[in-house]
Amino acid sequence: MRISELVLSLGLEVAQGGYADREISTGYSSDLLSDVMANAKADGVLVTVQAHKNAVAVASLVGLAAIVVCNSRPLPDDMVEAARNEGVAVFRSSETAFEVSGRLWALLHRP
Amino acid sequence: MKVLADLHNHSCLSPCASLELSPSLLARLARERGLGLVALTDHNSALNCPAFEEACRREGLAALFGIEANSVEEVHVLCLFGSVAEALDFGASLRGLLAPLPYDPEKLGDQVVVDADEGVLELVDQYLGASLGIGFGELCEDAAARGAIVIPAHVDRPMFSVSSQLGFLPAGPYDAVESLREPPPALTLGLAAVSGSDAHYPEHVCRRPFVAELPDGALGERGEPLLEALREALRAGRVRPSWAA
Repeated sequence: MRISELVLSLGLEVAQGGYADREISTGYSSDLLSDVMANAKADGVLVTVQAHKNAVAVASLVGLAAIVVCNSRPLPDDMVEAARNEGVAVFRSSETAFEVSGRLWALLHRP
Repeated sequence: MKVLADLHNHSCLSPCASLELSPSLLARLARERGLGLVALTDHNSALNCPAFEEACRREGLAALFGIEANSVEEVHVLCLFGSVAEALDFGASLRGLLAPLPYDPEKLGDQVVVDADEGVLELVDQYLGASLGIGFGELCEDAAARGAIVIPAHVDRPMFSVSSQLGFLPAGPYDAVESLREPPPALTLGLAAVSGSDAHYPEHVCRRPFVAELPDGALGERGEPLLEALREALRAGRVRPSWAA
């Protein structure tokens, strides 16, 4: 599945759409940035409620494909700007991290 | 006497801070911009405190020596000591608790230990921005037991704060809280709130100082007496943060 296909499949709002479309490897759900740094995989999707520019910095560091911010959390302008500069896709969902993670797992990994 | 104080400053040891912001530049800018009392608080390490002590001595500035520690929940807390030795001891105790994250200086920034003349002494190869394997409560208790002034940092910030990571300020051995704006009562527990510059770049130095009312002569003191004079002012609420100026 490609990054762009997430939007329809998960019903996401596109907050930052300036990214190079590519295949997604897997997902990672966490709100601790040090945990994301240590354990998230390149080309993965981060499911989180951390809506600030440090989440983008970590995503960029790890080489994540996209961030999905859950619970309709407001996205600060500097986060969106940082994501645009780094080419990290940022989406927003009205669902909880549990729901988004479940649906993402089913899309990517259900046998 | 009223003193312009700033207890939250980084140096080139913090990976996210400017390489330009050496302890000596911090001390010089602090004096030029009118601070009377200043602390160095790098992330999870006090290794630039010896240089900072010497730089502040040269500038005639009263200094405290600290660490901005990062708990396992990613809550930042300022821990301030009267002496460099105590700060270094505390820093050494944190070293083994640092999460072993991959550290690429190209991506995360350099971590440079310098002397008071900006000579490079060491490049720290363990990522200092990582969280520590110790809970916020235990971390604060440990620092307080070592005699530190303990101040939860930027309590109202949407990241790395008690409000963002825990949702509230639990009871603890704090002397004050640091806040960006006037904090809601739930984030102070009745303690005094101070402002702090959280300086990472030269232009940040002295951007959010606070005024402390200290006993006459307190700034002539060093070490323990200076720390305790500040603690008393904080506990008595004899401070005026930048948003109240």
